[in-house]
Amino acid sequence: MHFVVCAKQIPDPETPPSAFRIDEANNEVIPAPGISPVLSQFDGMAAEAALRIIEAAGEGKITVISLGQESAQAAIKQVLAMGADEGILLEDDALQGGDSYTTARTLAAAIEKLGDVDAVFCGRQAADWDMGQVGLGLAELLGWPSAIIAKDVQIENGTMHVQRVLADGFETVALPLPAVVTISNEIGDPRYPKLQQIMRAARKTVNRWSAEDLGLDPSTVGDAGARLKLERLFIPELGGDVEIMEGESAEEQAQNLATTLREAKVL
Amino acid sequence: MSVSERDSAAPVRPAGRRGKPRPVRLTGAWWAPAVGLSGLGLISAIELERTNAGREVFFNVQQPWIVYILLAALTGLLVYGFARHATLWTVGKPTPGLLREIPMRARNAIRLGLGQEKVRRDRYAGIMHLCIFSSIIVLTAVTAQVALEDDTPLSFLHGNYYLFFSFYGDLFGLIGMIGVGMALYRRYFDDFHRIRWDERLEDHIIIWGLGLILITGFGVEAARISVTELNGFILEDGTQLEAHPDWARWSFVSYAIAEPLGILDLTQDQVLAGHTWMWWIHVILAFGWLGLLVFTRLDHMIFAPVNAFLLRTDAPGRLSKIEDIEEQEVFGVGQIQDFTWKQLFELDACVRCGRCTEVCPADLSGQPLSPMHLIQDLKAHLASVGPEVQRRGHVGGDVREVAQLEMVGEVIKDETLWACRTCGACVQECPVMIEHVPTIVDMRRYLVMDEARVPATAQTALENMEMRGHPWRGTNRTRESWMEGLGEVPVFDGSQDYLYWVGCSGALVERNLPVTQSVFRLLRESGASFGVLGQEETCNGDPARRLGNEYLYQILAEQLVETFKAKNVQRVITNCPHCFNTFKNEYPQFDGRFEVLHHTEFLEGALTDGSLQPRHSLDSSVTYHDSCYLGRMNGVYDAPRQIIELLPGVDLTEMRRSRSKGLCCGAGGGNMWQEEVGERRVNHVRTEEAVGTGASEVVSNCPFCIQMFDDGVPAIQPEEEGRIRPFDIAELVERSVLGEDGASSNGAPTATT
Ligand code: SF4
Ligand code: SF4
Ligand code: SF4
Repeated sequence: MHFVVCAKQIPDPETPPSAFRIDEANNEVIPAPGISPVLSQFDGMAAEAALRIIEAAGEGKITVISLGQESAQAAIKQVLAMGADEGILLEDDALQGGDSYTTARTLAAAIEKLGDVDAVFCGRQAADWDMGQVGLGLAELLGWPSAIIAKDVQIENGTMHVQRVLADGFETVALPLPAVVTISNEIGDPRYPKLQQIMRAARKTVNRWSAEDLGLDPSTVGDAGARLKLERLFIPELGGDVEIMEGESAEEQAQNLATTLREAKVL
Repeated sequence: MSVSERDSAAPVRPAGRRGKPRPVRLTGAWWAPAVGLSGLGLISAIELERTNAGREVFFNVQQPWIVYILLAALTGLLVYGFARHATLWTVGKPTPGLLREIPMRARNAIRLGLGQEKVRRDRYAGIMHLCIFSSIIVLTAVTAQVALEDDTPLSFLHGNYYLFFSFYGDLFGLIGMIGVGMALYRRYFDDFHRIRWDERLEDHIIIWGLGLILITGFGVEAARISVTELNGFILEDGTQLEAHPDWARWSFVSYAIAEPLGILDLTQDQVLAGHTWMWWIHVILAFGWLGLLVFTRLDHMIFAPVNAFLLRTDAPGRLSKIEDIEEQEVFGVGQIQDFTWKQLFELDACVRCGRCTEVCPADLSGQPLSPMHLIQDLKAHLASVGPEVQRRGHVGGDVREVAQLEMVGEVIKDETLWACRTCGACVQECPVMIEHVPTIVDMRRYLVMDEARVPATAQTALENMEMRGHPWRGTNRTRESWMEGLGEVPVFDGSQDYLYWVGCSGALVERNLPVTQSVFRLLRESGASFGVLGQEETCNGDPARRLGNEYLYQILAEQLVETFKAKNVQRVITNCPHCFNTFKNEYPQFDGRFEVLHHTEFLEGALTDGSLQPRHSLDSSVTYHDSCYLGRMNGVYDAPRQIIELLPGVDLTEMRRSRSKGLCCGAGGGNMWQEEVGERRVNHVRTEEAVGTGASEVVSNCPFCIQMFDDGVPAIQPEEEGRIRPFDIAELVERSVLGEDGASSNGAPTATT
């Protein structure tokens, strides 16, 4: 079996609010000083899900793919340390700055180039923009079946059994391979890597593929190919107003409160 | 201690159970000295028989040469026994640095080994040991003199010296009896229980044996006195021994026995027969008892001073560095042969006294760790698998396949290792100088780095250190949040005297921010020249090292040493005893040598030299909690107390456990980031002690301690009214120096938060 895990490096979601800054003019997040980007937590869980299956089967291979900048190597290495076998960084100026669609397109091209992939594991969403689109888009572009927000994945005789988290419970679906699955946090925390593996991962070289390697026309990927336009990025102003309810008695105060709330269209 | 912990010794299956047990193969020519010494004994025996020099020393004893046969047998036994022990130790790895600092080691052997300094931390046991120990030494010397007198041309047991000899022989016999009496009392009548936590048959045999040896010794002497010195006697060869009651009185104990025997009206032959019997019983018991030296915990007579010699000579707060960590095959200690031989030697030295467990915060709180059982379980495991490991090491074969049980995980459970606070209380108390902490951390290293088995919450802390450079997941503070409202905060640029190191807790944990601000304001008030690193601080790695991730620790430590060097840091003031210990004791391992002060020490200096003036009376009663890493690990006990003394209106009540006996708050050893398992939480136990003093404030100087108390107080005092309040000593000093409202003494307004 050959699995692909898609991993994204994101600004640390635990950046303290006071250190979070944006550049409103360019609609960009300004990286907080001294705070390094991290692997999106759901992608770590996707790797965990893939690893569990391979461990149970006793054979198989995992390739981790990341679309990003040079620094995304760290995210790839992290998954390699967990036990993945190979890492590929999709890095090219032409690939930068896209949206969910171009990301899915680029990843799909990489997976097609790999050829013999049986299943793709993604996080349910990237923990920065929380779009949750790439997994589904990828399945669409590859023409594979998909299941999203999984809490458990098993593979038996070429069929993937996925337990999905629903708003009011779970459902189990079966998909023929190859398939795409997106993993939710219910699967549990990613494993803590053994030092041997960390060191082995550190020694591994991460392959780099450009748009050209993938056979992608630069005008269809990255910024140029993006279909989603970010209109405005801003930090909402938080504010509050206090009004003290007047009134002779508690009943009267309650009455006034109700009236005020109704006027404000809260009730 | 938990049941599981206790039981874990039991299931250790013997090695080599697949085939027939193989004979132990002993390294080296161990048998040469044994045979040699035994041979010497035999020659003496034959010689004795040939010359028949029975004389007075072997008075009334037929075939005295048998004694020399016994001596020969004993010598052989001892050499064989020790060789067997030593064989097991050789399974371990080399122990570096044992031949450095010889003078200090010799001093330790004398002070801690022979001088029994630690034994005396329990006064009763101290006196008891002193009695028995001195008695054994003196009586051995007495016996040796008798042998010299008899077997060599030397002759000195006559005249005044003989009388003195009789006197002190009896005196120390009596002292020995007192010691034995104390031991018997403690074992059978005292409510005292720790020595019964792991009681074995040998414990009874040892003490009763010693008692009987002393009693029969007196009996023999009394019988001899009765027939010779009291009544006069004619030896076989016709020599007339005159009655000398005045001599007899010098052997005052035996005399006191012999004298009243007179009224029994025994015949001389009856007394002589009794004498012979008792003499043989005495001799056989004595040899038998000495034989126990290699088979029972009596071996501590030898191992304790040796282990004192082997004791580390560097700071107790320092953990070892794994050199060339990337090239190791095994990280930490996973199997018995991964320990150093010194660590294995220690296992053999343990006397099951229970002192370590008695003070262990984990055990006190009903958590699954008892250092005594941990040591004993490892010892049993060594005895079980050691010989086979040794044999395979010798003849070839996979030594990692020997053990049937995983040492880390089955013999010693994961939760046992995680429960340790690295507080050092066990090490402090151990009378035979066993160092539990490095042994425990070595196994943690294996758990974390080799097996990657880490409790979830600790894993979060480790990952956070790796990703974010601090262990506090989810903090919404930055490293500069504490600076708000303090006016200008000087940035360290290499020109100032001190770097004020705030630390992760001081900057990122809500409760510790005011402490950081207090220290800052006091530094500014004192006029010291200092600066801070702000955003450039990163975790110094201490929690990673204590949690067993030495690899991560080394990365963080190397980084920070680089930063310090690049910024020309010479002197550091820290907020946190853990940072303090790391910089002071551990960074020299990474070639980082800085002068390090904890703020407690700085404040004491500033209050003493007058640069800080405690002008406001506080009217407060406090109790002081010794943090382990400032106290036990670094010996700073007086500075904080001195400060409290200097603050007007502050009244100190000590807790029952204080100074070197202080109880950990429960956070150490990475337990700040772990869920506790067991009956109680350590911080509740400690908070209870603090509340018990009746003080209104509990003062410490460690960000972890303060968090632990903050957490413990509501549990112990559910009523909000009259709760004890935890403070850092700097907050106390600030109130006295700057006043409650933070007004500076020189009238200049100080920004408050
Ligand atoms: S260091 Fe402290 S917690 Fe650990 S075993 Fe010793 S006494 Fe117990
Ligand atoms: S380790 Fe030391 S303190 Fe603990 S039982 Fe053994 S000898 Fe006593
Ligand atoms: S937090 Fe304080 S008491 Fe607890 S281990 Fe650390 S120094 Fe010791």
